[in-house]
Amino acid sequence: MIIPLIIIAKIVSFVSRVFNIGMGGTWPGEIALRLKPDILSILIHNIKEGVIFISGTNGKTTTTHLLKAILEKDGKKVIINKSGANLVNGVVSALLTECDFFGKLKADYAVFEVDENLLPEVLKSVKFLKLKMIIVLLNLFRDQLDRYGEVDVIAQKWTKALQSLDSGATLILNSDDPQIAYLGIKSRAKVRSFGLSDNKDFVIKKEHATDSTYCPKCGHGLSYDGIFFSHLGIWKCFNCSFIRPKPEIISNLPILSGKYNKYNTFAAVLAARECNVDAEKIKSALKEFKPAFGRQEEFTIQGKKIKVLLSKNPVGFNESLKTVINGGARNLLIILNDRIPDGRDVSWIWDVDFEMIPESVSMVVSGDRVYDMALRIKYSKSQILNPKSQINPKSANQNILIEPNLKKALEIAIKGIDFGDMLYILPTYSAMLDVRQLLTGSRRL
Amino acid sequence: MNYKLTISWLYPDLMSTYGDRGNVICLLKRCQWRGIEAEIIPISLNLNNEKLGSSDLIFMGGAQDRQQSIAGEDFIVKKGPVLKNLIEKGVPGLFVCAAYQAIGNYYKPYTGDDIAGLGIFDLYTKHPGDQAKRLIGNAAAELNSKFKIPNTIVGFENHGGRTHLGKGVKPFARVIRGFGNNGEDGYEGAVYKNCIGSYFHGPILPKNPRLTDWLISRALVIKYRKNVELTSLSDEMEWQAHEFMLKRLGIKSLQ
Repeated sequence: MIIPLIIIAKIVSFVSRVFNIGMGGTWPGEIALRLKPDILSILIHNIKEGVIFISGTNGKTTTTHLLKAILEKDGKKVIINKSGANLVNGVVSALLTECDFFGKLKADYAVFEVDENLLPEVLKSVKFLKLKMIIVLLNLFRDQLDRYGEVDVIAQKWTKALQSLDSGATLILNSDDPQIAYLGIKSRAKVRSFGLSDNKDFVIKKEHATDSTYCPKCGHGLSYDGIFFSHLGIWKCFNCSFIRPKPEIISNLPILSGKYNKYNTFAAVLAARECNVDAEKIKSALKEFKPAFGRQEEFTIQGKKIKVLLSKNPVGFNESLKTVINGGARNLLIILNDRIPDGRDVSWIWDVDFEMIPESVSMVVSGDRVYDMALRIKYSKSQILNPKSQINPKSANQNILIEPNLKKALEIAIKGIDFGDMLYILPTYSAMLDVRQLLTGSRRL
Repeated sequence: MNYKLTISWLYPDLMSTYGDRGNVICLLKRCQWRGIEAEIIPISLNLNNEKLGSSDLIFMGGAQDRQQSIAGEDFIVKKGPVLKNLIEKGVPGLFVCAAYQAIGNYYKPYTGDDIAGLGIFDLYTKHPGDQAKRLIGNAAAELNSKFKIPNTIVGFENHGGRTHLGKGVKPFARVIRGFGNNGEDGYEGAVYKNCIGSYFHGPILPKNPRLTDWLISRALVIKYRKNVELTSLSDEMEWQAHEFMLKRLGIKSLQ
């Protein structure tokens, strides 16, 4: 019997909302799964038109929110899971929160971001889904190796999971990421590809945080006409003649700043096209779109502007840095935590190109691993750096301040900027939740 | 006198998984800050092979299985003899994680044939099977007294293979917290001549500045055949990060 289960889940969800404990995204689902392991496949069949799963290292949350906005513009009712609640329990929680006491849902679409490691498990539990199913795969970068293992291991798991899909499913794949593109030729599902095509987006120098410059098919080194970032680019293999699939043309759309947001937008647009949303509606939805929390989210505190850019792995961090530096940033607060959602291993910060930060930028560093971050920044400078206890905007060379206490760090950073100037905060995942709580008084997403 | 060191970084594109670049940055900066000219030479499959022989210091890092197998044959056939010659001459090197395994005698996977290593370090590594736990976490160890620098080292380890030392090498350190070579005998890493193999990344050098300076110092001694006094640097931040990890692991500082 499913009704008592739903009641329990709804109570948990209600309690966590009322008491603001911020666990409502995962607890109800976790409890329901313990009591009824096949609950996902029961609930999901109540969705009317289709289910979209979005996975990849970077961009899941933004893409999920973009697609939701577009589908809603088209008059559809859409369920999504809470950001970060992207394990099976988060997906189940989202369904439980939205359904009535009989497990019925009034949704046309469900759009779920799924943890890359758990995509196979989720796909397995919806194997016999009779609905339209779309799987959007954004990219695979190095992220939390201690928790997830290596990029190649995930790619192998995905290949296996996608092979069991029937031809009714649609894969929306990033053709600029060789490993993602390769998934397309190994699956029976329909494939649609997105990618960048503007040569102006090429970076000249190959960046350091590169994971996949060898052919996923034959292991030979890949040749690139150009690289957009990390290992994403226009590539081909001269050895086995595996080439980048041509992406569909998407033009003339309003897009959030940052190259990675082009990818997120293009992925969402292709998924929307697959759901038969017309071009005008896509365009107007994108025009009105507001970023998801912590993804270029803006705050005003004491008349000063603050922007938060989640920076949780080398590629994401490099893109955040480029975005803020190109935007003329003069003040950064960098927060490094090493809790489970961040990854316990902080060695990845040495793969981030802090060297690109101009000498004139003032930095405050904080977080659980504040000293590791400070040390990384010290070694990004040509001059020997000495930490200071006070920010002095006049001294250009040595403006880094180390403050382990996040609340104090935030106060100092806000105090240090002029009115009208912007403080950019670059936190890891749990640090983003912490800083957001300080800024808004709520941990809820 | 102007000193100059050539630092060879083996397979930066293939074998650089856990922030390994940090080790190279650290060597480079600590030379430059002292006025020692330093150059990093990236050496990969078909890149700069001819320059390996003139290395004053060698670094090689960790890798994923696929990348490691791409590098494998090239490493044994093309780089092997040159590296052997350098290491026997006393040129210092640091080999982390997969690189540490690869300079040993062999690697025994849980399925399939043994994979030959370079055989410079007398050790072998065995993978205990896909059900066995990976050895993951923050770690600390006490350096072998050979280094004459009373010191703890801190880092992060993440490896499936268990390494066992033979008679031809000395342990690099003794584990205080964490697993080290195999989680059983209490040893971490190995030392042969002036070369170090270790499972510690984090990366290992930035938070263990004396170790970095030991490598630089050995490189200068071998190259210039005399003791070169290293200018002391302000390592306040390095020790803050080091001590933080010791404290987190509940260890009293040995400094």
